[in-house]
Amino acid sequence: MLKVEKVIKRFGGLMAVSDVSLELGAVPITGLVGPNGSGKTTLFHMITGFYRLDEGRVYFAGKEITRVSPHVISRMGMVRTFQHTRVLPFLSTRENLLSAVPAQRGERLTSLFFRPSEVRREERQNRARAEEVLDLIKLAPLADELSGKLSYGQQKLLELGRVLMAGPKMILLDEPTAGINPTLIRRLAEVLKALTTKGIQVFLIEHNMPLVAELCDRVFVMDSGNLIFSGTPAGAIKDLGVIEAYLGRADHAA
Amino acid sequence: MDYFFHILIIALVYTVFALSLNLELGYTGLYNFGHVAFFGIGAYTSALLSLAGFPVALSMVGGMALAGMTGALLALPALRLSGDYFGIATLAFGEMVRLFFLNERWLTKGPMGLPGIPRPFGIQAGVSGLPLYLILCILLTLAVFLAAYRITHSPFGRALKVVREDEFVAQALGKNVFSLKVRIVAVGSLLAGLAGALYGHYITYISPSDFTLNETILVLLCVVLGGRGTQWGPVLGSFLIVFFQEFLRFLPIPVDFGRVVAPIQGMVYGAVLILLMLKRPEGIVPEYKV
Amino acid sequence: MADYYAQLLLNGVVAGAIYALFAVGLTMVYGVFRFINFAHGELIAWGAYLTLMFSQVLPFALAVVPSMMLVILLGIGQDRYIYKPLRQRGRITLLIASIGLSYLLRNALRLIWGSDLQTYGFEAARGLSFANFIITRTQLAMVAAAVVFLGVLYGLLKFTMMGKSLRAAADNMDLAEIMGINMRRIGLTVWTLSALFASAGGVLIGMDTNLEPMMGLTNLLKAFAAVLLGGAGNIWGALVGGLFIGVVENLGVAFFSPGYKDAIAFAVIILILLFRPTGLFSIIGGMR
Repeated sequence: MLKVEKVIKRFGGLMAVSDVSLELGAVPITGLVGPNGSGKTTLFHMITGFYRLDEGRVYFAGKEITRVSPHVISRMGMVRTFQHTRVLPFLSTRENLLSAVPAQRGERLTSLFFRPSEVRREERQNRARAEEVLDLIKLAPLADELSGKLSYGQQKLLELGRVLMAGPKMILLDEPTAGINPTLIRRLAEVLKALTTKGIQVFLIEHNMPLVAELCDRVFVMDSGNLIFSGTPAGAIKDLGVIEAYLGRADHAA
Repeated sequence: MDYFFHILIIALVYTVFALSLNLELGYTGLYNFGHVAFFGIGAYTSALLSLAGFPVALSMVGGMALAGMTGALLALPALRLSGDYFGIATLAFGEMVRLFFLNERWLTKGPMGLPGIPRPFGIQAGVSGLPLYLILCILLTLAVFLAAYRITHSPFGRALKVVREDEFVAQALGKNVFSLKVRIVAVGSLLAGLAGALYGHYITYISPSDFTLNETILVLLCVVLGGRGTQWGPVLGSFLIVFFQEFLRFLPIPVDFGRVVAPIQGMVYGAVLILLMLKRPEGIVPEYKV
Repeated sequence: MADYYAQLLLNGVVAGAIYALFAVGLTMVYGVFRFINFAHGELIAWGAYLTLMFSQVLPFALAVVPSMMLVILLGIGQDRYIYKPLRQRGRITLLIASIGLSYLLRNALRLIWGSDLQTYGFEAARGLSFANFIITRTQLAMVAAAVVFLGVLYGLLKFTMMGKSLRAAADNMDLAEIMGINMRRIGLTVWTLSALFASAGGVLIGMDTNLEPMMGLTNLLKAFAAVLLGGAGNIWGALVGGLFIGVVENLGVAFFSPGYKDAIAFAVIILILLFRPTGLFSIIGGMR
């Protein structure tokens, strides 16, 4: 479903992402791992249109999205989260979810004034869907709280909920379990597994290795901007290049 | 009594002006410091058209339309700029428009201004026309208030707030940020043009000195003091400021000191802006209960 | 004919030297504190008007001293009481506060000195002519003063410890603080220099033109155009930008009606922001 072809991103003299090619679609959940600074988040930004590529192409569901705006990519069905939670703190939990439906009738001025009944109808549908998502992420009691008051873990779940509201074909999650307690991690894992039964692809940046091993059938490893491994999680753990990337090169004294 | 009508009319004009700025600044986070330009474009266009013989109502619509279009045109390039740079660019634009009014004498009569602007619907110029004009203002202000309410309490308004809070998230949620911004600037400019036209046909004489940075600061004050991002905030702010301004005229100030009223007023406004930012940036009517 | 343009060019350089002073002060504050001080224009105006006031009792050359000192106090005071408490609140809040402050100061000026034009009352100086140009003694003094100020600044930045600390702070405020650079002293230095240059420039420009209450705002916008041209935070860029604005303004009089002279700076602002927001002298990459 996603194809990344020889993409490169430079910042001044630094190669943040260097000639990376990969394909997603064969398995439901794919992991992207690597030490800090290896270019994982940069790659996400490039895939979702937030960074302009210096070289290379990206294809989604058969269409090229290399130079496409982020909001269009989102509407095409590739939805993402950010590394540090970006809920909208001064909107309520429910409003956060409602605002996540990509192309709403009520967002068109002409519809607002000339087709009010259609706007009302769609809003009702969206509210019903928001209720379902609230139940799924178990945040229903906090629906009307300002989302800034939620705990960090709850905000992460809300972000996931937002992604779900968008009705995506593929979701890109950037470190969804960072900083949250094991119970919430479990809940998140359950939600992710439930998603894949609906045919949604998941691409996951994570540092939590046991979770990656549990959820992902396939994993990509990056180091210093390069893609150094592609295969199963079990294989990754044994691969020499991966070990060196995480632990540093052994010092070969003369 | 006539004087009371006068104050109300001015307050209503500024309410429309402030509501229009609030849509851009309060809901979308766009700091348009050149908003007075559209107030002026609405006023001048409507005045010129009506002086050329067109029915006043039509002229006012023309003023609104030109203001809205200019706003959209300005928005297209200017919205690529980040917050404070957008503020400065719009401020520069506002000043350029004023210079245009001042220098293009063949069109605007320059510093002489345009006298004798007719009132709409046969309402008489001068004091006798006041009650009818007031009714007109009340109706139009109500219409603008309701239109603004419809916009802000809708998915469109929700999307605007998302853009205001976090543009990257807005994009990630599939919102076309640029299109939203251009649309709201067009609407805001159009409504500012209406306010300007209402002003021009009331005062019946306009000149470039009516559309300066002072007016921008005044309307900014109305929005920020009243409570940005709320429906009633700009209304409250406008009434407070306009009534304060007129109240000062009633103070028994000896003639010798007459010239100090305006600067002292200005100092008070500046100080209020500073204090608001320091102590209560959300204004009198807060947007959310924290 | 070429003489006409050459004269305009000369006028432009003189004006530009003063704009450079304004722009450097504005950009220094931006470089360290990352916001555009809207009230910078009023520091200019107050410098000019205070000198007018003191020159009633002191010889002109001495009158500038107390006036510059008062403006420096004003500059430091505005940071201490208004900008510092708001630093965490975001650039827009700072911008609105500085707009409010500029409005306050401008009206205070009108209150004290009225709205009419004022002048320092120098006799219309006869120009010294050399080659085919005419340059007045006043203009010579202006350029000389500007050069001296900028030269001293150059020495300060390049050779003193304070100068190096300033450059470090402009580069990365948090890192500079960790490295032990005293941010309070940096702040004081920046505001002192900024106010000094603004007031000096105000006096200098007052020597050539009339004083009027809007002079702060007009010159602020020109300074801002220069800052943008050179890249916000770039001191030497601001200098070149100032010269550029001065020259373009004066040459432009040959082509546009003089009423639009000020609009040239506005047009520059808008054009730069639209096409090269990072200025002509900087290289930045990054997020869309």
